[in-house]
Amino acid sequence: MTAAPIAAARGGRLAGVTARRRLRNGTLFAVMCVIAVVMLYPFFYMLDNGFRNQAQFAQQRGHSAVSWRQLFTELPVWRELLNSTIICTVSILLILAVATTAGFAFAKLRYRGSGVVFLAVVAALMVPLQSIIIPEYVNLGKLGLINTYLGAILVYVALGTPFATFLMATYYRGISDDLIEAAVMDGLGYEGTFLRIALPLSWPAIATVTVLQFIQIWDDLLVGLLFLQNPQQRTITVGLAALSAGRTTSIPVLMAGSFVSALPAIVVYLIFQRYLIRGLTLGMGK
Amino acid sequence: MSTVTAESQAAAGHLPGRGRTARSRLARRRRRAGILLSLPAVVVVVALLGIPIGQAVYYSMTTWNGLTSTWIGPSAYSTALSDPTFWRVLENNALLLLSIPFAIGIPLGIAWLLHEHVRGWRFFRSVYFLPTAVSWVVIGMVAVQFFALQGLLNKMLSAVGLGSFQTNALAGQRSALVALAITFIWSMLGTNVIIFLTGMATLDPTLIEAARVDGLNRRQIFWRVTLPLLRRFVQFSFVITVISAFSALFSLIFVMTNGGPGFGTTTLEFFVYQAAFALGEFGTGALYGIILFVIMIVVGLVQLRLIRSAEGEGW
Amino acid sequence: MRRWTLVAGVAVTAMIATACGSSGGGGGSGSTSAPVTLTIWHNYGTEQNATALQNLAKAFEKIHKNVTVNVVSQPATNYFALLQAAAVSKTGPDLAVMWTGLFTIQYKDFLVNLKGKVPAADFARIDPSALKWTSDRFNATNGPYVVPLENQFYIGFYNKADFAKAGVTSVPTDWSQLFAACAKLKAAGYLPLTYGNGGQPLGAEFYPWYDMSYMMIGAHPLSSWLQLYSGQLPWTSPVNAAQLNTWSKLHSSGCTNSDVLTKTNNLGDFETGKAAMMVDGTWDTAKFTGALGSKVAAFVPPFSNTPINGVVDFSGDGLSMTTYAAHPTQALQFLEFMTTPQAAGIINAAGLIPAIKGTSTSNPVNQEMLNFVSQDHMTVYPMLDNVVQPNVVNTGSKVLPSVLNGSISPSSALSSLQSTLGQLPSNQRGNSYP
Repeated sequence: MTAAPIAAARGGRLAGVTARRRLRNGTLFAVMCVIAVVMLYPFFYMLDNGFRNQAQFAQQRGHSAVSWRQLFTELPVWRELLNSTIICTVSILLILAVATTAGFAFAKLRYRGSGVVFLAVVAALMVPLQSIIIPEYVNLGKLGLINTYLGAILVYVALGTPFATFLMATYYRGISDDLIEAAVMDGLGYEGTFLRIALPLSWPAIATVTVLQFIQIWDDLLVGLLFLQNPQQRTITVGLAALSAGRTTSIPVLMAGSFVSALPAIVVYLIFQRYLIRGLTLGMGK
Repeated sequence: MSTVTAESQAAAGHLPGRGRTARSRLARRRRRAGILLSLPAVVVVVALLGIPIGQAVYYSMTTWNGLTSTWIGPSAYSTALSDPTFWRVLENNALLLLSIPFAIGIPLGIAWLLHEHVRGWRFFRSVYFLPTAVSWVVIGMVAVQFFALQGLLNKMLSAVGLGSFQTNALAGQRSALVALAITFIWSMLGTNVIIFLTGMATLDPTLIEAARVDGLNRRQIFWRVTLPLLRRFVQFSFVITVISAFSALFSLIFVMTNGGPGFGTTTLEFFVYQAAFALGEFGTGALYGIILFVIMIVVGLVQLRLIRSAEGEGW
Repeated sequence: MRRWTLVAGVAVTAMIATACGSSGGGGGSGSTSAPVTLTIWHNYGTEQNATALQNLAKAFEKIHKNVTVNVVSQPATNYFALLQAAAVSKTGPDLAVMWTGLFTIQYKDFLVNLKGKVPAADFARIDPSALKWTSDRFNATNGPYVVPLENQFYIGFYNKADFAKAGVTSVPTDWSQLFAACAKLKAAGYLPLTYGNGGQPLGAEFYPWYDMSYMMIGAHPLSSWLQLYSGQLPWTSPVNAAQLNTWSKLHSSGCTNSDVLTKTNNLGDFETGKAAMMVDGTWDTAKFTGALGSKVAAFVPPFSNTPINGVVDFSGDGLSMTTYAAHPTQALQFLEFMTTPQAAGIINAAGLIPAIKGTSTSNPVNQEMLNFVSQDHMTVYPMLDNVVQPNVVNTGSKVLPSVLNGSISPSSALSSLQSTLGQLPSNQRGNSYP
C-alpha cells in the first residue's frame, strides 16, 4: 500500500466530489436567491404603488409622484418621525439597561428563588397586550402620564423587558462559569465582572434585542394610539393609521407612508448588523 | 483536616485558605449582586405588567366600559366558556400551532446555510431580515393580493401547470387560516434567522472542527452537533414564535381578513381585541385576555418540559 | 461606569423631552374674548366628511375671531375605544364625532345631553327624524346627544348607459325583475352586480349590512324592526331565511362576480362601466358622478318579493360634546353653528346631503335619493346596523358575506345571529330601545 495509488484513487474521487459539491452549492444559491425575491417583494410593492395616484392604482398602470406630495401635506411626517425616534431610542436604552443586568443575574448569579423569579419574568412575556392595556391606561392616567412621552415609554419598556431579559439570559448562560469566577477572584467583584467582562461579550445579543425591539416599538399601534392622543406627540405608525380611515383609503399615499416608516428600521438593522458580525467573528470567551 | 486538595477545591470553585468563611462571604456577595442586578427588571415587570394583570383578573368578572363597572362574579367565566364561538376560536389557535414547526425549522435551515457561508451570505442575511421592518398593514395587503383569485399565487400555479389547484384562498374559512399561517411563517423568518445566527455565534468552533475531523459530513454535523448545542436558542425561538402566533398577529389578521370569513381566522387574540376595542366591552376583553394568558403559560410550560426532557439539562 | 452615565444622561434628556412633549393645558373657558382652542376629534379620514368638517371649522373661526378650532383626525379603527379611554383620563376633545343610533346610547355616559343646552329653535331646523335617533329611547323629546352632520342613504347605483345597451328598460323594483335585469346585462357582457371590499376599511370583506337592511325592508314593516332588536321576531324566522336564500342566488346565478369575498377593485369596476349595478351609499356619490357623469343614477335595491317601498335614509353620524369638555361654551356655539343655513351650504359643497330642513343638495344623484322620500313617498328606514345590538352587527359582518358566497347556509348564519343575541344580558335586548 504505497501512497501513490491511494493519492491517484483519491484524486479521481475528489474530482467527482467537487463537481457534486459545486452543483449542490449552485442549487443552494439559486434557492437562496428565490427566497430573497420573495422576501423583497413587499418593498417592490410599496415603491411601485406609492408612485401612483388613485386611478393608476386601480388600473395598476402608470406612475406619478402625487401621492408622495399628498403624504407630506396630509400628515406632519417629520414631526411624527421625530416622535417615533425619541420614544424608540429611550425605550430601548432603558430596556437594555434593565435586561442586561437581570439577564446576567439570572444566568450566572443564582440565588435562592432566582429560578422562580426568572420564570415569572419570562411568564410576563406571555401577557397579551390587549388584556392589560386598559388597566395600564387607567393606572398611568391616574398618574397623569397620558399624552406624555414618558407614559408610552414606560409601557414599551414593560412590554419589552421580559423578552430582552430572556434573550440576554439565554446568551449569558453560554459564557463559562470559570471565566466569571476567575474575574471575581481577580478582585473585580460581581458587578464589575458584569460591566467589564460579560457586557462587552454580549454584543450580538444586545444588537439582536435592539433591532427586534426597535421594530416592535416603532410599528406598534395600540399603545401609541391610546397613550399619545395628540398629533404633536403621535408616532408615525399611528399617523399612518389615521390615513386609512373610514371608507376611502388612498392606498398609494399609505404605501408611500409605509415606505418612509420602514426606512428607519432598515437603517437600524444595517447599523447593528456590523456589531452582530463583530460579535460573530470574535467568537465566545476566547 | 480533609483529604481534598487545594487544586480540587479551586477546580470546584471554592476558595482555598480560610475555608468556609471566605466561601460564604463570596456566596453572600454573589447573592447580593444577583438581587441587585435583577431588581430593576423585577420592579418593571411587577409594577407595569403584574399589577395590570391582577386588575384584569378583577375586571374580567365585571362589565366594564372604563367608567363604570358592574360586578358579575366568577359566573362570567362559565358563561364565556359555554359560548360555542369561543371553542371555534380556540380551534383556530390550535390549528395555528401546527405551523410552528415550519416557522422554526425553515429559519433554522436558512441560518445554518448563512452560518456556513454560502456564497453571498452577507447579502442574503440582510435581505432576509428586511421584511421584518415592514409594517403589518403592508404585509397584509401584499398577502391579500397574493392570494386573490387573479393574484400571484394562482398565476404561478397555472404557470407550472398546476392550474387545477387554483384557489380563492381567503374566501374559505379553513383555507384563509392556511393563508394566514403561510404569511405568518414568512413574516417570522427574519426574526428567527437572527436568533439562530446569534445562537450559532455561541458555538464553540473547536467542537465543530473535532466533528469534522472525525469524518462527519455537513448534515451529520448539523443534526448531531450543532442542533443539540443550539437547544437553548431553539427553546427561545419556540417561545417567541408561539407568543407571536398567539398575541402578535392581530394587525395582520385585521388587514387580511378581519377575522373572517365567518370565524375562520379569528384567533383568541383577535377575539379579545374585538370584545375590548370593537365592542367596547373591556370586562369581556379582560376575561378572554386572561384565558389567553393562561393558555400561553401552559404552552410555555409544556415546551419547557418537552425540550428539557430530551436532553436532561435545562434551566 | 461611562455607559451608565450615558444611559443616565439619555434618561434625563427623556424626562426633559417629556416635559416639553406633554400636551399644553387648555386656556380659560367661558370668557368669550380670551383666545380659546376648541378641539374636535373625527374618524373621517380623508373622506368628504373630513373636508366638510374642516370647512365648517374655518367658517366658525371667521365668525368667532377668538376661537381656534383644532380638528384632529383619529384612526377610524379603535376610534370608539380611544374615546372611551380618553373619557377615563379626561384627555379627550371638546367635541367628538359620534355615530347615531345604538352607538350613541352605548357611549352616552361621556356625552352631554343637549336638551336645553342648544336652543330649541336650532333643533327645529334639523330634520326631526334625524334627531330622533340620537336621543334616549329614540324619542327626540328626551334630548339628543348628537347634532347630525349629514343625511346618508344606503342605496343602489346603476349605470344608465349599460342598462340601455342591455335592453333593460325599467329599473327593477322586486327580486324577479332584478334577476331578469341581471340576465339581460350578463348577455350584453356586463357584470350585473359587483361586490368587493373596495371602499371598506382595509382587509374587511364587503359590509353586508347595506344589503341586509334592504332584505329586512323587503321582509318586515318598520314597526317590526324593534322586534328584531328585542328578539320577539327571531333572526331565524322563515321570512328572513327566505330573503337570504334569494340573495345568495344572486351569486350562484352569476349575477355577481364570483370572488365577492376577496375582490378589491369593485369600485373601479363600477366607475369604468364594467359593472352595471352596485349597492353602496351616499359617501361615494361624488366619486361616481365624477367618474360617470350623467350615466350614473340611484335606485332602491329591490330585495323584496313585492315592489320595494322603503329606503334607508338616516343620519349616520354627527358631533357630540363630551362631559369633560374644557370649553363647553364654545363647543355649544359650534353645535349651534352646525344647524345654520350657512353650514348647510358648506356641507352640501363637500358633496354631502345636509340634515337641515328645507335645504337641497346640488348633486343630482343625491337629489334623486331625496326624491324617493319626498316624491315617491317611500317609507324612511334607519340603517339596520345602527338599531341592532353591536354584538349582533359584529357577528353578522362575519357570517353574512359568506352567505352570499355560498359557503355558509342562510340558516346557520341566522342561527349565529340568534345565538349572539341570546347571550346578551337582558338589559341589552329589552322590549324597547334603551
